[in-house]
Amino acid sequence: MISLLSSPKTLFRNLGREFRFKLNVWTLSALVLGLLVFIPMAEVLWQLTDPAENWEHLKETVLGRYLKDSLILVAGTVFLSVAAGVSCAWLVTCCEFPGRKLFEWALVLPLAVPTFIAAYAYFDLLDMLTPLLIWVRINVGPDEMIFLSDFLVYPVTALVMASVLYPYVYLLARASFSRQGGQMIEAAQTLGYNPKSIFFRVALPLARPSIVAGASLVIMETLNDYGAVKHFGLSTFTIGIFRTWFALNDMAGALRLAAMLMLFILFLLFLERILRSGAKFDEVKNAIRPFRRYRLSVGGSILAILCCLLPLAFGFIVPLSRLCLWAGATYEKILDSTFVNLVTNSLSLAACSSVLIVAFATFLAFVGRYYRSAGVHASNRLAILGYSVPGAVVAMGILLVAGQLNVTFDVLLTGSILTLILAYLIRFLAVAWQPIDSGMEKNCDRLNEASKSLKSSAISSLVKINLPLIRSSMWAAALLVFVDTMKELPLTLILRPTNFETLSTRTFDLTSQAQIPESSVPAICIILVVVFPVIWLNRKMEARR
Amino acid sequence: MKLILTSLLLGLLAGFSASAAELNVYSHRHYDSDAVLFDRFTKETGIKVNVVKGSADQLIQRLISEGKNSPADVLLTVDAGRLHRAKEAGILQPVQSKKLRQNVPASMSDPQGHWYGMTVRARVLVYSKERVKPSELTTYEDLAKPSWRGRIAVRSSSNIYNQSLLASIIAANGPDKALSWAKAVRKNMVRAPRGSDRDQARAVAAGLADVAIMNTYYLGILANSEVAEDREVAKKVSVFFPNQKGRGAHVNVSGGGVTSSSKNKKEAIQFLEFLTSPKSQNTFGEQSYEYPVKIEANRSELLESWGPFKADKVNLSILGSKNSEAVKIFDRAGWE
Repeated sequence: MISLLSSPKTLFRNLGREFRFKLNVWTLSALVLGLLVFIPMAEVLWQLTDPAENWEHLKETVLGRYLKDSLILVAGTVFLSVAAGVSCAWLVTCCEFPGRKLFEWALVLPLAVPTFIAAYAYFDLLDMLTPLLIWVRINVGPDEMIFLSDFLVYPVTALVMASVLYPYVYLLARASFSRQGGQMIEAAQTLGYNPKSIFFRVALPLARPSIVAGASLVIMETLNDYGAVKHFGLSTFTIGIFRTWFALNDMAGALRLAAMLMLFILFLLFLERILRSGAKFDEVKNAIRPFRRYRLSVGGSILAILCCLLPLAFGFIVPLSRLCLWAGATYEKILDSTFVNLVTNSLSLAACSSVLIVAFATFLAFVGRYYRSAGVHASNRLAILGYSVPGAVVAMGILLVAGQLNVTFDVLLTGSILTLILAYLIRFLAVAWQPIDSGMEKNCDRLNEASKSLKSSAISSLVKINLPLIRSSMWAAALLVFVDTMKELPLTLILRPTNFETLSTRTFDLTSQAQIPESSVPAICIILVVVFPVIWLNRKMEARR
Repeated sequence: MKLILTSLLLGLLAGFSASAAELNVYSHRHYDSDAVLFDRFTKETGIKVNVVKGSADQLIQRLISEGKNSPADVLLTVDAGRLHRAKEAGILQPVQSKKLRQNVPASMSDPQGHWYGMTVRARVLVYSKERVKPSELTTYEDLAKPSWRGRIAVRSSSNIYNQSLLASIIAANGPDKALSWAKAVRKNMVRAPRGSDRDQARAVAAGLADVAIMNTYYLGILANSEVAEDREVAKKVSVFFPNQKGRGAHVNVSGGGVTSSSKNKKEAIQFLEFLTSPKSQNTFGEQSYEYPVKIEANRSELLESWGPFKADKVNLSILGSKNSEAVKIFDRAGWE
């Protein structure tokens, strides 16, 4: 990001230096591949230069509403996610109470539930408040009721989103707390701090970078969501993009909105980097000895159990049990011969994408690190932007590029599985790139230098040093991509081939026909397939400490 | 896995290609009636029907991007506004057929034959039997009166059914009156618009709203639902056809057209003729509770129970041409 955002002058100087010294087949192909991945997003950003015909109209009428709803929803979701994620992380790492071990891993389970499925599982949450609204109308007045019903949408949607997104904060905060464990917290204990002030004055400030990183993932997922906000009737940016694109039939305007959203997210990422920069103090080396947890009193234990149970129940137990209940009533109708196809389609699609994306990410990360090439580093940074952009925007970019290729070269790219997998590559490259790149940073950088000085070739460094050392990172990357692909909706919906359905598209199709009980069967399948990799990944994270 | 690999290869080589005895249909309609009819069509003609379901907007976008290489032969979608949009985008070709002209009234099809209506739906007022007397209801315009404050439930204006309704109001009363109507109705809403048409009926049944603006067939779906609560909803509400003394209730079609890229034009026309034939038309009434494209030919008991009504005779292609104007008016009115 730094190299991306540095002034053009330094960028060019770096590029110049690099082309003199580092131009070879590896760097060139990494550069080209990285830029190719970035093209659809560049197409979207390019629209900022184009005056869209309806822009004035949008600015005058609805842009404010999109901004307002997006900001309120993001703020609410982040607030709830951080509150739940941080408090649960603190409890399971630093306190001892019955059930702690169980909660430690169970609290990540909501990660297996996509936001749109959570919204369907809670489809009637707002309707449950109808008696309250009627009471207000009778006892207070119709205007107050309208105000209340307009207001309630925000907390309810934020609650549903946060209930499945808080694990991002939880995971990162938990890792941070347990890293601090032995040294910082025990030092503070010996200095006579009580648990409360240790939490607020030591642990929390130290964990801030991790919490910010988790929160930024929550923000991206919130802004990416289409299904849940549509269901609850909020007008966020994604809704605005679809409305401008389809209702106003103005793709240029929609792309401009998309570009603004992208810029906004880039700004957030930049902010996160600033908040995190110089905050390396979080990276205390692994605790030397296990940390002695606070034993909680009976009352404290009950409170702790309730505090952990609440997000787990909201994000996993309740939605899954509701889905199971509906599935029990509808499975006979839904489980037919075509259903097996859905499962195999979803699984093989996710598997193929994982392999391709991990290979791609490994190559890009390796070239960037091995040659220490600023150019490749910058193009990598551009290539992984796809993850910060909503899936719908990526799909728009791909349709734009595919349409141009179709006109220029007369090849039809849309509607093939290949395009779909390439779309996943663009959207999820970052998911694979992050763990692989940090795995290489930790394990391979110095060895690569050594192998370079021994004049061994790049390919043998890759095969003999890097691949064996980052094997577990690659597994983690593959599983993360697998999970995300299984849960993906908008890209698949827009780009899938004829007669091709996956579990997530079937879920959406059924719900869009208001067959919410019927949609539970494919929805449960997604959750079940995804939940095992999630548990496995969580184990790995725990083992690493 | 094998399927994926083959498709990968296919995708690499030439995209999607279909043999002569197949039709590729891009369809927004997801009703059981369609599956029944497609099967019957295959049995009668031997022509296999491949369906891509998706939201109409995405399918139209996809057709535009696929251009002349598109594998699609037929686009089926709901709402004349969308059919018009597809025509404007150049993805439908004009077709003329004696049978289609016989089967489909002129006001329910495109003047140049780019698309033909297949079923009709009326957008009506659905009211609470408990709290509203039918005599209180008259016209769409009447819903703007302050007496309806906090009593109306209606879905988002991103939905094309509302856009077409407003387009018909623009056509009848002009844009200025349409804007003040939309503003006033938004003020009278019991909550910010959300959910489907069905959810509006549910809001009326739950006692939150007194009247909902919605399409007729959703009431049929609720009345025949497997879920007991939905059947209860249908019992608590009743249908009112507005503007009966004036231009008539707003109606719209679902319909289809032959794509510009179609390599099987003859079969595609045959398919549309089949869907609009009197025999197929009855299936829609029974299975998806829609009126046949010739409303008076309706034989469904449920639909007859709502009574005969006068339909707005405005040519449906007008709804399409006024669509963007309608969306902008909604934006200005603050109707989300």
